Amino acid sequence: MGPRIILLPLVLVALGTVGCSHVAPYERGKLAHPMMTADDLEGPAAAHVLAVHEGATGGGSLSESGCGCN
Amino acid sequence: MQLRHFFRSSYFLRPSFLVAAAALMVATANVNTAAADSSDDDQTSTDRTEKAVSKPSKKAAETAPEDTAIKRIGTEIAGYLDTDHVNVLTPSINAGIENVSGASLNASYLVDVVSAASADIVSTASNRWQEVRQAGGLGAQYKPHDLGVGVGGSVSSEPDYLSVGFFATLVKDFDEKNWTLTFGYGYSHDTAGRCGDNGQCTPFSVFSRDLQRGSFNAGIAWVVDRASLASLTADLIVENGDQSKVYRYIPMFAPNVAGNVPLGASYDWVNANRLPERPLEQLPLERRRFALTARYAHRYEASTLRLEERFYSDDWGLVASSSDGRWIFDLGKRFALWPHARLHVQKGVSFWERAYISGPGGSNGDAWNLPLYRTGDRELGPLWTVEGGGGLKWYLGSDAEPRTWQLGFSADAMYSAYLDDLYITNRSGYLGAITLEVEW
Repeated sequence: MGPRIILLPLVLVALGTVGCSHVAPYERGKLAHPMMTADDLEGPAAAHVLAVHEGATGGGSLSESGCGCN
Repeated sequence: MQLRHFFRSSYFLRPSFLVAAAALMVATANVNTAAADSSDDDQTSTDRTEKAVSKPSKKAAETAPEDTAIKRIGTEIAGYLDTDHVNVLTPSINAGIENVSGASLNASYLVDVVSAASADIVSTASNRWQEVRQAGGLGAQYKPHDLGVGVGGSVSSEPDYLSVGFFATLVKDFDEKNWTLTFGYGYSHDTAGRCGDNGQCTPFSVFSRDLQRGSFNAGIAWVVDRASLASLTADLIVENGDQSKVYRYIPMFAPNVAGNVPLGASYDWVNANRLPERPLEQLPLERRRFALTARYAHRYEASTLRLEERFYSDDWGLVASSSDGRWIFDLGKRFALWPHARLHVQKGVSFWERAYISGPGGSNGDAWNLPLYRTGDRELGPLWTVEGGGGLKWYLGSDAEPRTWQLGFSADAMYSAYLDDLYITNRSGYLGAITLEVEW
């Protein structure tokens, strides 16, 4: 079950890449919208709550320290 | 009263905050100098270009070097409470500066004030406790062209826990920034100690447990089309050390009782039916964690869709999926409003048991025959959590640049179902936050 779950996004990426086309810088007006950035809309408290509530981790910032939930 | 005291006299004067603030001020001066001296204007952000051109007056430009750096400062006050009697108040601040040469610096500081009387605490006959955690971080990035590097560090401290970490990242753009590769490495060292009910803590030099964590990160982000972006990030996290909680005692049951322990058995039921021994939690001393995270963002005419999916697996046997989505709607120039939904589902670790079995001691002289690994951490057990809520941004800046002042509100409710646990079978939690961000 695990390997299949891991492979699923790779398949999605492959399908997504097929549909990619070169987008010139002057065509990126929509992509430059502030809401299109990868920045979190929620602050550190929400990230910490998720870290404590969920047994999983990853996908976030490398700069996080331990959860301090001793 | 306590919070007033905390703001007025204590935490903002602590060395960790002062060091971060001083470093930010020094770096601010350096970055401004670099901006003034820089003749390389390799910028890709339209906003940044407009700001750099429009900000200084002609007179100022004649008399002083042009300050094109963008400075940001923000603060958030967040509160969390749940039906397991855990309350958390988290004030935080962050600041950053970025100049047109590609240099940026960010700093953050937060405090968690935690008050808890959860099922785990009550089950060990302990009192409600209150604890304060402080965390600070400092990061810098330099990306003058299509290659960038970043470094940073962070510290998290509470009376019985100290974590210190650093990270380094490498970013490379290809094909006119149509796709980007990122690599990162982070290392942190945690020291866990122990404090008593009376607030007295044993010095780390007398008792402590160390945990070392190495994080390897690689990702690719690419432009799907004129309105869509996607990314895929892989994380490998290697942990070495004993992360067993020094406060968590695990009830043991006789073989003929263990099979009859009901889901969510009460403290009274457990205490009436468990064996006399109640050992501390014991987890494996190594853990390898792997996560794969896919993100997709699409910009419509007046809204933005952001989706995220994370698949997670580790060598303790925990497998999880976390799905998250936001649809952000523009309400004119002054407001953005979004609904938010998240679903997390996980299978428990391989050594998870609702009721652990202990038998008579063996021939080696042990008084009890305990399972090698045992835990009561319900975040290691099978569970699912559904979360829903939303947020609002109110842009308070000038008509020309409304986003230079932003006031934000967010509220989320989450419901967790614990599928194979003692004491509780579900928990409802509520998280709210108010943010203020200023850019100039």
